[in-house]
Amino acid sequence: MTHTKTAIDRAAMAVSGGLILLGVVVLGLIETLAGQPYGAAPLTNDAGEVVAMPLIDPNLRTGLVILGLVVLLLWGLYKLATPMAGGNTETAAVETTAD
Amino acid sequence: MSTNTANPLAGEFELAMDGPLTAYWLAILRVLTGWWFFHSGVTKLLEGGLAYSYGPIYMQGMEGTALGPIPVWMGNNLAWLIAPGVPLFETLIGLAVMAGVLTRLAAFGGAFFMVLFWTGNAGFGHGLVNSDLMGLLLFVTVMILAAGRYYGLDAVIEKMQFVQQRPKLRYLLG
Repeated sequence: MTHTKTAIDRAAMAVSGGLILLGVVVLGLIETLAGQPYGAAPLTNDAGEVVAMPLIDPNLRTGLVILGLVVLLLWGLYKLATPMAGGNTETAAVETTAD
Repeated sequence: MSTNTANPLAGEFELAMDGPLTAYWLAILRVLTGWWFFHSGVTKLLEGGLAYSYGPIYMQGMEGTALGPIPVWMGNNLAWLIAPGVPLFETLIGLAVMAGVLTRLAAFGGAFFMVLFWTGNAGFGHGLVNSDLMGLLLFVTVMILAAGRYYGLDAVIEKMQFVQQRPKLRYLLG
């Protein structure tokens, strides 16, 4: 089964994957290299006082991931709205799982 | 199926969707993900029926998240929907994902819930990747791989004439 990807498909995958990886991995690496807190929440002492804040606002990072997922959703809606290339290209996968 | 004679295990372990292990594991993944939500929803129903008042309160407290004012607005204005909707939709999403019926649509609903939980719980003490994000990724994976087609009822539903004549329904099934 051969699927051809259009420029929009490639762009959607690149942007979506890029945003998700940027939010989690790239900024996570920067956060780690910047020292404590290594996580994305404020570091507190035993008394509950905040002793260190994350370098990067976790809202920025979660926002990037959510934006990446929204791009995936918009891509799916685009595929839903545009004519299917080649008709029932996915039927083969359904039938082959039956045996 | 692969006919790679150089590697006799290629047919069994390759990542093609019609590979036996891939289909088997996708089905396991789907059922456990569905059970997770079903259990969460049905226990809320058993304990409080359709009056899950913590739902709107939880969303009213979601100030300063990446979702901006949206969840707080929802908590303030859509309490009539959220209080019964959380237990009801969690239960229905779980049932649908387990049975593999309207799998992609149901998994989208699960992903929507998990975005709210991930940002709302904000349990980022050990980093951004926590169990809430993993749950979100599970639902997105079920959606993208159309996991309902593997030992799920969507495999049967998609063969019905009604769906065959409307192939785009497979974006919601699958």
